[in-house]
Amino acid sequence: MITFKNIEIKYDDFVAVPNLSFAVNEGEFFTLLGPSGCGKTTTLRALAGFLKPTQGSIEIAGVDITAMPIDERQVGMVFQSYALFPTMSAYDNIAFGLKIAKKSKAEIDTRVLELAKMIDLTPEQLAKNVANLSGGQQQRVAIARALAKKPKILVMDEPLSNLDAKLRKSLRKEIKEFQKSFGITTVYVTHDQEEALMLSDRIAVFNKGQIEQIGRPQQIYNESATEFVCKFIGEANSLTAADLAKLGIEVSDASASDAFYVRPEKVSFSRTASAVNRIAGQIVGKEFYGMYGYYQIEIAGTKLISFQRESKAEQHRNGE
Amino acid sequence: MLFLEYFKLKGKQFLTLCYMIPLVFGGIMLSNGYLFTYGKRGFVTRFLIGHFPNLPADWFGGFGAVLFLMTFACTAHYMIFFRNAFKSIDFQTVEAARGLGASDFKILTKVVLPALKPILLTCIILLFQTGLMAMAAPLMVGGRRFETIGPLILTFTQRPASRMLAAVLSLFLGVFQLGLLFVIQRNERRGNYLSISKVKTTIEPTRIKQPLLNLGAHVVAYLFALINLLPLVVVVLFSFTDFKTISTRELHLNSFSLENYQRVLTDRSAYHPFLTSVVYAGLAAIAAVALMTIAARIIFKYRNRLTTVLEFLLYLPWILPGLMFALGLVLAYSRPRWIVFGHPLTGTLVIMLVAYIVVMLPNTFRFLKAAYFSVDTNLEDAAKNLGAKPIYSFVKIVLPIILPTILAMLALNFNGKLGDYDLSVFLYNPIAKPVGVVIRSNSNPEYGVDGIAINFVYSVILMVINALVLFFVYADGKTKIKQLFKKENKKSGE
Ligand SMILES: Nc1ncnc2c1ncn2[C@@H]1O[C@H](COP(=O)(O)OP(=O)(O)OP(=O)(O)O)[C@@H](O)[C@H]1O
Ligand SMILES: [Mg+2]
Repeated sequence: MITFKNIEIKYDDFVAVPNLSFAVNEGEFFTLLGPSGCGKTTTLRALAGFLKPTQGSIEIAGVDITAMPIDERQVGMVFQSYALFPTMSAYDNIAFGLKIAKKSKAEIDTRVLELAKMIDLTPEQLAKNVANLSGGQQQRVAIARALAKKPKILVMDEPLSNLDAKLRKSLRKEIKEFQKSFGITTVYVTHDQEEALMLSDRIAVFNKGQIEQIGRPQQIYNESATEFVCKFIGEANSLTAADLAKLGIEVSDASASDAFYVRPEKVSFSRTASAVNRIAGQIVGKEFYGMYGYYQIEIAGTKLISFQRESKAEQHRNGE
Repeated sequence: MLFLEYFKLKGKQFLTLCYMIPLVFGGIMLSNGYLFTYGKRGFVTRFLIGHFPNLPADWFGGFGAVLFLMTFACTAHYMIFFRNAFKSIDFQTVEAARGLGASDFKILTKVVLPALKPILLTCIILLFQTGLMAMAAPLMVGGRRFETIGPLILTFTQRPASRMLAAVLSLFLGVFQLGLLFVIQRNERRGNYLSISKVKTTIEPTRIKQPLLNLGAHVVAYLFALINLLPLVVVVLFSFTDFKTISTRELHLNSFSLENYQRVLTDRSAYHPFLTSVVYAGLAAIAAVALMTIAARIIFKYRNRLTTVLEFLLYLPWILPGLMFALGLVLAYSRPRWIVFGHPLTGTLVIMLVAYIVVMLPNTFRFLKAAYFSVDTNLEDAAKNLGAKPIYSFVKIVLPIILPTILAMLALNFNGKLGDYDLSVFLYNPIAKPVGVVIRSNSNPEYGVDGIAINFVYSVILMVINALVLFFVYADGKTKIKQLFKKENKKSGE
């Protein structure tokens, strides 16, 4: 559906994206994930047409759109700050694009009401100035506005980063549901790995303008292709072959500089359970995180971190 | 201002209103009102002499009087800036200092004043400039032997033979101003607090604890307010009286009439200056704001060497005092120039309009540019994404957002030049005398009581216009009135 071919994007002399290629499938929820300043917004803006790549080409549905004007691309955009028009009502915001497209009044009305129903806005709320809507409602209006003209592609730039943690979680679900029900190809930008893992069909992990890995969330998390991906997507114990040897794990053909990563939730411990692959260790640090505990364990001179559910039956203390 | 804002005084709203009077009753009108109230044969002077026969009749004159008048007249104009800066002080810093055991005096000098330093310095310099350039106040209240540079330049300019001397004098002024501008710019780079935003954060005024000091503060505050208020009241009152009352300054109940107003409104020679001023100030305000709305947009959007130069040019009138600029115009366009299609401009109707517009540019530009800066650039991208062309998104999205600033600038510009004398006196065309110039010549004793009566009416009408404009544009008058109606409707509906 979307193909980036050897895209290079520059700000004056600064190369923000050196050489980028990827493809997004029809109907897919595709996420660009990466740390701040890695070029996610830049990539998205190139897709929407706000930036012209200095090299390479972008195709949508087989059509080269690299030089196509913004308004012909049929890419709907949701901005990080929402960029709702502050002097207008929610209704006028959603209707804005339709009015420009010179749709008839009746047509506009039907479409706006249809969208309002999907985003759960009452007619009274539609008539309100957007400044008087809650953060969550504003966010939904922004999505409805982007979808009003039935674009082929929806792009969203960190649409949840302005909201508090709780609202973020509930809206995350809604976004996923919208996307499913519209079945629209979506390119989503975030620097929040949890968000990316939960929402995406596929994730592209970005670093310094380059893609480190593209894959399904499970792949990205469990089979990280690079150290950067592994560390960015979640916590990890980083071990050398020597460390592993001390733990009784033999690895063949590994050099001294090779690193091995183990996710903390894969490290479990218990006073009683008898199983294979067990080795004695001591808890040297503990932090309480609510649902689970964050433990630092020292085994044979190697420090490991472990996430473990707190259970009533077995409570662990420091020094144990 | 600091005194008024920082300390807790009873009836602060009333006091603030009184101190704001020069905003609507300023310039030449104010001088005129002061003259009639505190001048040689002034209303208050007579009253005072009746009680203290030793008081010299010209007690309110010379250096002291001009100083007093200028202080008040100018305070009002910088009040908006200053109050905003003051209100933006983080009150928690004051509370923190208090919590650490600092005395009120310590807090004022160590916490509040340092935070206000940039704005104080800017205000002081701008005030200083205004004072340096002043025309109306020293001319009218100063008295015969009181000379300042502004009126001197005017005198020299009026005779072609000494125009060069005037030019030298104003050049001297200009250099001086350049120095001041440099200081301001350096100062502002450290923190720009000038803003006309209406946002309010609550800073609690401090109570003066010693009763005697507290009483003293109140007396001073109210005395100044009264001195400021009296001329206004007197002008309004006497505008409704006949010639005899005005010349004797003795008010009787039956001396009131609408005769003066009738004359101003029906006699062409009386209302003509008025119309002239409204047209000039209105046209100039609209032109300046329209030009700057476009220029600020271009400069904001396209940063390059050309726009930097343009921006500097727009600030030029700020460096060049109005006075010097007017003189420059007179000298430059007394002969045909290619830039104005080979016609001499001096003495034409256009030159004053041009001057009005030009002196409005710097401030208008400044505030509009700030307004553009406050508009989220993503908004235009969003509009583009939805298919809007640049002009459409500018008109539909950006313009409505900066509209309050546009209106505020229209109002401030219009009010500022409606009763203008200082600039107009150099440039007016005899067939279209602006009201400020007429008020000045009317206040000459040789024009007799007649002129004074007309002046009062002019002043009252100007004041009403100014107040209305400010109320509607700046104080959200429209919404207030709407709310009032809503309340009324609710009441009557119940
Ligand atoms: N207008 C610009 N001019 C010059 N450099 C820019 C501009 N916009 C972004 N950059 C630079 O390009 C790089 C990528 O920026 P981009 O905004 O795409 O990052 P991002 O991944 O979206 O980051 P964030 O998560 O902080 O939004 C950064 O190093 C940034 O400094
Ligand atoms: Mg970004």
